[in-house]
Amino acid sequence: MAPGEFRLRVRYGKIGRLRHLSHLEVIHAIERGARRADLPYAVTRGFNPHMKLAFGPALPVATAGLSEYFDIWLTRYMPAEETLNRLAGAMPPDLTPVSSGYVGDDLPSLSAACNIALYEMRIEREDLDRGTFAKALDAVVRSGELTVQRKGKTKVFDLARSLSKEPRVSVDQTGVVVELAVRMGQEGSLRPEALVGAALSRMDAEGAAIAVTRIDTLIEDEKGCARPL
Amino acid sequence: MTSSLWERIEPLLSRVERPARYIDSEWGAHRDSDASYRAALLYPDTYEVGMANQAIAILYDRLNAVDGVAAERVYLPWVDMAEQMRTQSVPLFTLETCAAVASCDLLGITLPYELTYSNILEALDLAGIPLRAADRSDADPLVVGGGPCAFNPEPIAPFFDAILVGEGEDAALEIVAAHRAAREQGYSREATLKELSRIPGVYVPALYSPNESGQGASALVAQAGAPEVVTKRVVADLGAYDTPTCPVVPFMDVVHDRVGVEVLRGCTRGCRFCQAGMVYRPVRERSADQIVREALAGIRCTGYDELSLTSLSTTDHSQLEEVMRRLTRRLEGTGISVSLPSLRVDAFSVSMARLVGGGRKSGLTFAPEAGTQRLRDVINKNVTEQDLLDTVSSAFTSGWRRVKLYFMIGLPTETDEDIEGIGRLVSKVFRAAREATPPQQRGGIRVGVSVSTFVPKAHTPFGFDGQISYHEVLRRQQVLRDSMPKKGIDLAYHDAQVSLLEGVMARGGRELADGIEAAWRGGARFDAWTEQFDLGLWTTALESVGLDPHAIATRSFDRGEPTPWGHISSGVGEGYLWHERERAFAGETTEDCSFDDCTGCGVCGDSGLGVDIVLGGERRGSR
Repeated sequence: MAPGEFRLRVRYGKIGRLRHLSHLEVIHAIERGARRADLPYAVTRGFNPHMKLAFGPALPVATAGLSEYFDIWLTRYMPAEETLNRLAGAMPPDLTPVSSGYVGDDLPSLSAACNIALYEMRIEREDLDRGTFAKALDAVVRSGELTVQRKGKTKVFDLARSLSKEPRVSVDQTGVVVELAVRMGQEGSLRPEALVGAALSRMDAEGAAIAVTRIDTLIEDEKGCARPL
Repeated sequence: MTSSLWERIEPLLSRVERPARYIDSEWGAHRDSDASYRAALLYPDTYEVGMANQAIAILYDRLNAVDGVAAERVYLPWVDMAEQMRTQSVPLFTLETCAAVASCDLLGITLPYELTYSNILEALDLAGIPLRAADRSDADPLVVGGGPCAFNPEPIAPFFDAILVGEGEDAALEIVAAHRAAREQGYSREATLKELSRIPGVYVPALYSPNESGQGASALVAQAGAPEVVTKRVVADLGAYDTPTCPVVPFMDVVHDRVGVEVLRGCTRGCRFCQAGMVYRPVRERSADQIVREALAGIRCTGYDELSLTSLSTTDHSQLEEVMRRLTRRLEGTGISVSLPSLRVDAFSVSMARLVGGGRKSGLTFAPEAGTQRLRDVINKNVTEQDLLDTVSSAFTSGWRRVKLYFMIGLPTETDEDIEGIGRLVSKVFRAAREATPPQQRGGIRVGVSVSTFVPKAHTPFGFDGQISYHEVLRRQQVLRDSMPKKGIDLAYHDAQVSLLEGVMARGGRELADGIEAAWRGGARFDAWTEQFDLGLWTTALESVGLDPHAIATRSFDRGEPTPWGHISSGVGEGYLWHERERAFAGETTEDCSFDDCTGCGVCGDSGLGVDIVLGGERRGSR
C-alpha cells in the first residue's frame, strides 16, 4: 500500500440468482460496482493500471455466500457508512454490501487470513429422514477420511483436520439442513457437498440437489475465531 | 424477478456450462412485468456473443422508452442447455421477466451473419413458434428480422413475417406502433402484415412470389399493393439519436466487454468488396461534444474500465484528434482506457493509437487486404506498400512489437502472383519492423497474418461475380502457405469449408430455405463455432432438397439478369455498382466522397434517400 491510501474492508453477500456466478464474475461485478459508486479507488502502477482490490477465499459457482469479503484501497478517506451507501446503490440486488470498515495496513491478506468457512446445506429431497441421514453422515465422519475425485484428480481429506467441529443436522420446513465448519488452507479445502454427497450415497440417495450457502467466513488464530470485520 | 418458468429453469443451471448466460439480474437491465406489449429481442447466438451487439442495445433502449412496451433480451441457449430445456419441456425464455418467447407480442431477430441461420430455426423451435411464417396463427408473435443479412434476406425469408432493411432507430418503433394499432383494430395476421408492408424499409416476404419471366431486377415480384422495391431505412442525422449510455452490463466475460460509443456510421472509402461500405452509406458523424459527453456518461453508468469508439472506420472521424485529447485528459489516473476498433494504414492512426493505449501496447491491426498494388487498385483499397511500411515503422518506433495484418484471397482478377505478393509484403513488413526495433528487443517481434476467403456480397460491385470454387480456394491457400515467410510470422487462414457455406448463404435465393430447414433438422446449429460446424451435414441437407452448394456459391449474374436480392435496395444504384465493377477490372481507383467530389452512388440528395454526408468538423479535402 502506498502512503496516504486507506484500506477499506467490505462484507457482502452473493445470494439468489447470483450464486450462479463464478468468482471471476463476482470480481468483475464488484470492480464495476465500485466505479459506478464513484469510490475514490486507488489504481496500481505499471503498464496495465487497475483498481487495487483483493478478495477473500473464492466461492464456487452455485454456492451462495452471506459473509464474503473484499478489501479496496482508497486514495482519500470517506466515512465507511458513505462507502456502504454508495456501493449499495451501485450493485445488483443479489450482490449486496452488508457492512464496511477500515482495517490496518499491516493485516495479512484476506485470502491468507480466512481459514474457517461455515456452511449451511439444504438437501432438496422430501423423503429424506433426518435420523437416517445423520447416522450416515456420522459414519462418514467417523471413518476419518474422505476421498474426492475432481477433474480427474483424486484427493484424500483427513476429516479430523478438515472439519473444525462436528457437523450439525437439523430439519426445518424445507427439509434436512446440515451445518459444517470447514478449514480452508493452501493445499485445497474440502467441498462441503462432497461430504454430504458421501453420506447420501451410503444411504443410496445420491443425486439429491444440495443448496449450499457459506454463512460465515472466519479467521481462527491462537486467540480464537473472529470475523474479518 | 421470479416467475413460474424460472423455477423450472433454475434446477437446470447446475447441469450446464456457464450458468451466468441464463440468470439475468445484470446492472442496466429493464424489467417491466406490467407492460401491455412485450417485444423479445433475440440475438441468434450465445449470450457472450450477442451481448456485444450494439443494434440490440439501441433497440432495447428505444423500445423500453415507449409507454406500455417492454423489450427483453433473448439469446440462444448453448447445446447443453437446449438439451436440458427440451428434456424438461422448458420453452425459450426472455431474460428480464423470464417470459416464454411464444407469449410475447413480437420476436425481433437480428441477422448478423449468414452462419447463424440454423440458430434462428433452433430458437423458433425451442420457443414453440412454427418455423414458417405461413404456418403461424394470430396467437403467435410477429417474427421480424433485421440487420446486415437483411440485404439478401431470401434464404431465410419464409421464416419471417417481416424483415426490416436498414437502420432501426425509427423503423422499429413504427413497426411496434403499427402492430399495436392493428391489434386494437382486431386485424387478422394477413391484414397486419399488409399494414406493415406500408412502412418504408419493411419487407414482408409473403407478399412476393417467384418471378417466372426471367426479366427484371429480381428473382421475386411484388404482389399488388406491396412495394416493387424495398429501400433501406436510414437516419439522416445520427447526432439526433442518443447512444445507449446505460446498456446492460454483463457478469460473464463477453465479446467486446466495454462501453461503446458509435462515433460515425457509414463509410465511403468505396472498397469494392465491402458490403458494409456500400449499404451503410452515407457517412454520418456524431460531433466531438456529443461523443465526449456520451462516453463519459457511459463509463459513469456502467462502471466499465474500457471505452471503445466504434464505427466502420473510426480514424476517419473529422474530429477524432480532439475527441481523443479530451477523453485521455478526462480519464487520466482512473485506469480506464479507450480503444479504437479499426485503424487505417496511415501515420495518423498510429498517432491516435499512441494516445489511447497509455502504457499498453498489445498489438495493432491493419488491413491491406491484397498483396500487390495492382489488386489493391482493383478492389479500391487506397493503400500503398509504402503507406503500410511507413505505418509499421512508425508503430514499432513507438514501441509496439506486434502487428496483425488482414488479407483476402479469391478477390476478382486475383492471380498466383497476387497471392505470392502477400508473402513478399509480409517479409517487407517484418523487415521494416526489425529496422524500427532496438536490436535487443527484436526477438519479441510478431507479425500475425490472417487471410480470409472473399465472399462476394449482394449490393457491392463484386456481388455479380461468383465465389471461386472450393477446390480453387484450397489450391490458393497452398500457394499462400508456400510463399509465406516462417520466422516471426503467425499465419492463420479461414476454413475453406466455412467460406463455401458463407458463399452459399450470401448468394442464394429463397430456394435455400428448404435446405436450411433440412440442415437444422439434421442437427446443424452454432455453425459459426468451429467445434459445431459440419459441412458434410449441410451438403447432405442441401442435396436432399435438390440444391448444389457449389453451384450456388460460384454463380455469376449478367447485367440485366435478375438477382435474388434485386427487390431490395440499399440506395446505391445498380448502374453505379456495374460502373465500379468496370473501373475495377480496368484497375482504376475511385476517391472517397467524404473527402472529394460526389461519386454518384445514388444515396444522397432528393433523387436518392434524401440524406447527405454529415461531418462533425471540417470537410477534410483530398489527402
